[in-house]
Amino acid sequence: MFVSDEDLMMKCRKGDMSAFELLVRRYQNPLINYIHRSVNDYQRAEDLSQETFLRVFKNANRYEPTASFKSWLYTIATNLCRNEVRNRSRRNTYYLEDLVKEGEDVYHTDIMRDTRHMPDVLLEKKEQRQIIRKALTQLPENQRVALTLVTYQDLRYEDVSEILGCSVGAVKALIHRARQKMKKLLIKTGIGEENIHAKI
Amino acid sequence: MQKYNKTEFPHLYNPECETHIASVDELSAYIDKELPAWKRNLIQQHLKKCDTCAGYVQQLKKTDKFLRQGGEIEVSADFLAGVMTRVSEATQHQRQQESFWSRVARYIEIPLRWLQHISILAYKLRYNIQTRSPIYIFALTFCVFTMVGVTLYLPHSDRFGQSAHAWKKLDDVSGEKLISFEVIRPEPPKRLLTTTFQQK
Repeated sequence: MFVSDEDLMMKCRKGDMSAFELLVRRYQNPLINYIHRSVNDYQRAEDLSQETFLRVFKNANRYEPTASFKSWLYTIATNLCRNEVRNRSRRNTYYLEDLVKEGEDVYHTDIMRDTRHMPDVLLEKKEQRQIIRKALTQLPENQRVALTLVTYQDLRYEDVSEILGCSVGAVKALIHRARQKMKKLLIKTGIGEENIHAKI
Repeated sequence: MQKYNKTEFPHLYNPECETHIASVDELSAYIDKELPAWKRNLIQQHLKKCDTCAGYVQQLKKTDKFLRQGGEIEVSADFLAGVMTRVSEATQHQRQQESFWSRVARYIEIPLRWLQHISILAYKLRYNIQTRSPIYIFALTFCVFTMVGVTLYLPHSDRFGQSAHAWKKLDDVSGEKLISFEVIRPEPPKRLLTTTFQQK
């Protein structure tokens, strides 16, 4: 029997640890991927994901079942990511994955485990991921958050508007601009419009 | 409603497209299936007639599809354990904080009880005594000072509402301490000289 996130959260409010564990199991993968796309550092993404879940647990009493759990979770994660990026720029620190040149082996976590593919396919996929990640980091913050939430986390525009604290119309505009900019950036990095079309 | 401008969307800037598509942002919303049914149908009908708009939507779809190939990162095996450890640590800390606040509540409880008793007594005697008489004022002041004095100068253990039973226990403990630390060993009488004489 499928139990909704909101019901699990209500159980969690009463101190049910197994309900909380189930929520973590459900969202650990998408959340780490979401944070990793914002901060571009695996270890830091894991820390921030843990911090997000901890905040969910601590503020369980404040959670109202009227709001979607998913959007609440991503609101917390987005705020943490914003703080992280702000602190990083204040301290002028860079993470390893930011400094690594294209083609170097950094994404061992997602590539080395997958041994099903042939090396050339693997390399092509790796390059593709690196290009997309790099292009994503070049987007303005709100555009990146909106595009990531819609494209990778499958959130509705309404949920994104709740997370970003703006109207649905503004989210529409943000996503469209982000897609346009991503297309330009991808063409600039050498993929080219024809290549994009060919790869698809 | 926001209209698209010439520079952003040059090839679609004609009156016919404008009647069907209010803004370019709507095309992104269209591919994300975020538009209401009537608007969706309107755009669909227009896309069948207009090749430029259809081509533009195709490009958007392809960009979106390409972005979705960004790849996922696998979560490390000990992530869940890490979250649960942090949560249990936070719970313990919360419990400690609760005990502190409950102690503070008990600390406030004693003067409140005093105040309650005095107010009940004053209410009952309101017709029997003159409130402005010096005796009444003296008695009231004495009560208040006694209450404050007793609350403040109570030994630490009794401040938080410990009973007389606890006092007795405290005495026992201090007695035990005294016995354990002050060990008196009576010295044997000095009969060395006499014994040596007796032996002789």
